[in-house]
Amino acid sequence: MSSATRQATNALVFLGPACLFLVALLVIPIGVDLVVAFTDMSQTLTVDDLTTEQFRKIATPSDEALLGFELRYSFYKALMLTAVYVTCTLTIFNVGFALVLALTTTALPDWLGGIYRAIWLLPRMSPSVVYALLWLWSVDPTERGLLNQVLGVFGIAPINMKLDAPMVLIVFANGFIGASIGMLILTSAIRSIPEHLFHAARADGAGSLSVVRHIVLPHLRWPLSYITVFQALALLVSFEYIFLIMGPARSTMTMAMLAYTKTLAPDIGSGQYAYGAAITLILIVVGVAVALILYRLANMKALLARPRIEVH
Amino acid sequence: MKRTILTAATAALLATTAHVAPVAAEDVTVTLWSRADRSGPLRAGNIMDAAEQLNRMFEAAGADTRVTVELIETNAKGFDADALDLLKAHSVGETPDIAVAAHEWIGSFVEAEFAANLEEHIAANETMYADIIPSLWNAVKYKGERYGIPQDSEVRMFFVNNDILREMGKDEAFISNLQGRVEAGEFTMYDWCDLAAEAVDSGAAEYGWVHRPNVGPDFQMAMAAFGIDIYNDEEARLQITRSGLQDYYEWLDYCVDNGSLPADLTTWTWDSVHDAFRSGKAMGKFHGIWNVGAQMEAFDLSNADAYFDKLTWIHAPAGEEGGEPKNLSHPIVYVVGDTENKDIAAMLVAMASQHVPNTKHAVTTNHTPINYGQTAMPEFQDKGWALIAGTPMLDYAEFMPNHAKIGQYNAITFMGVQAVETGEMSPEDATAFVIEEMEIELGDDVIILD
Repeated sequence: MSSATRQATNALVFLGPACLFLVALLVIPIGVDLVVAFTDMSQTLTVDDLTTEQFRKIATPSDEALLGFELRYSFYKALMLTAVYVTCTLTIFNVGFALVLALTTTALPDWLGGIYRAIWLLPRMSPSVVYALLWLWSVDPTERGLLNQVLGVFGIAPINMKLDAPMVLIVFANGFIGASIGMLILTSAIRSIPEHLFHAARADGAGSLSVVRHIVLPHLRWPLSYITVFQALALLVSFEYIFLIMGPARSTMTMAMLAYTKTLAPDIGSGQYAYGAAITLILIVVGVAVALILYRLANMKALLARPRIEVH
Repeated sequence: MKRTILTAATAALLATTAHVAPVAAEDVTVTLWSRADRSGPLRAGNIMDAAEQLNRMFEAAGADTRVTVELIETNAKGFDADALDLLKAHSVGETPDIAVAAHEWIGSFVEAEFAANLEEHIAANETMYADIIPSLWNAVKYKGERYGIPQDSEVRMFFVNNDILREMGKDEAFISNLQGRVEAGEFTMYDWCDLAAEAVDSGAAEYGWVHRPNVGPDFQMAMAAFGIDIYNDEEARLQITRSGLQDYYEWLDYCVDNGSLPADLTTWTWDSVHDAFRSGKAMGKFHGIWNVGAQMEAFDLSNADAYFDKLTWIHAPAGEEGGEPKNLSHPIVYVVGDTENKDIAAMLVAMASQHVPNTKHAVTTNHTPINYGQTAMPEFQDKGWALIAGTPMLDYAEFMPNHAKIGQYNAITFMGVQAVETGEMSPEDATAFVIEEMEIELGDDVIILD
């Protein structure tokens, strides 16, 4: 076999499946979304017109507005809720809490750290409907709810999180699951730090906090950047737990939820496929923008650059 | 020479066809789309039985045609989700010959060229349909013509727990006069909330009253009680009245403020809503007659007397004194697909809609009948007392319009319900917001009146 043929075969064998996967699950859906967003497709799935009507449902032209258009209230609200939801879940749980978990569980003896990590992996391992049901039981507004039972012990009146703090509820519910991935990645990163660095630091008289600050955190820069970018994008499009816990509530109607309720969600006026596609298209644009900004901020280019030493 | 061969071949072909045709049995497979639903297994079952009956008729007539029904049982969460699935199946060429559906989808089905026009079939088989309660035909009409056959009907109302009224100190005369006062327009929606708040304040009930937690047809009767006529028949367009909508939201706001309606009701599950009423915690509930079975079980009641001693039914009272009360009927219908089997499919539907099979469905699932004569049947007299009691309520019934966008319309007005009840918006803001959403999302499909 000639070298050229072998190279071509190798490319096909090694890159083929990934390329196929990429085209079938990413490129084609985005293409379909792009086309559908500019049609009038609804319940009957027929397309009569190519139109920008769906985008006029999202924004109306306005001379006073800075960009020449004004976002409609429900869309603006969805955008703001998405920003709050993604930022809070990401910073508090998926990155912040994941880091705390990784630092604390690696500081513990191995067996104990292992148990704690296993506990934090449980939400990830349980089926989503079961996990959502556990949350629903926990925050039940009556005195039957677990949270209210605990509050009752301290003489605090029952609270209703679904009504009074819906965003806190979905941030917690998503965060408890999201923290586990970051915890695993960061734990393995901490484990890969050469042991002698810790000994050297200790020999130089560094305390635990100094070790964390000067040795562990600098080593976690790349995994933290990766988790931030990856999880920000994942959160932007996630709606599973929001839907299971809150239903189509207005108080937690993020962009992804809005797209879902307008298209496929049962019994809430769905079937507006083109409108949903337009919302999704904007979500894709927002996602790309967020990814590029974070990529730049986290200097991911340096992470993905070729190593300076060539290894043969 | 060529011509001779061709003629011979044609002759041979004709001879074979002529010879074979009477011998080969013709099997017709009719596909039936039906959602797996505890509230009506016989909706599909009656069509299967009809096919067996028809096959016996063919056999008796010496005909070789045999009909097989292929059931496509879907597991959609509700009738709306099921209708969307059905439209998707139709769009890829998998059109069923018969579908069981919620009537308001007929508009969409006609627009999608799925539903067959049944006017000719009904006219040709007049005796099979002559006893159907005429008002039910309204539920299957789109632009004046019939595209379905009513399968069952029901009536939705406010249920009142009499024991809670008694505990509040109301006497028997108050309880027995309640429905009369509602029908006379003396007892209004505001009186309803006041009564429910009194139940909570007196400690007789934990909740005043509860409604469904999600989007659905029930709200339409409350809207109608505030004078909103949601459909313009002549123009076949949806309709909303700004002032009526605001009155409706102000009423909901009033109910939440006076403590009779839980502010977070729209975040409850169905189970909690059912439980609130069936466990005796709520004074009232806004739902449908098919609940009777579950209520009998929950309150441990054994007969009609015990039931009506425990519960009272009222229409949705008028919005203001002197107005007209309303309730809602939401029939399920058979729709015949515009397929090559549509004639035989329509015959199966006609057979399944006769008194005996329909009564079997109605009494086992607590749905009101489609034919007048059914109420006289012994089985109905025996097991269908609740349905007989509910049938006169149909005089006040409204139907959902058979408009393709009614699901969207309900979802938009429900956003206002959610916004007002949770305190996110004032009734005025919610009205302005809902009207804006309607203008943008429904466009020409909705007429906005002041």
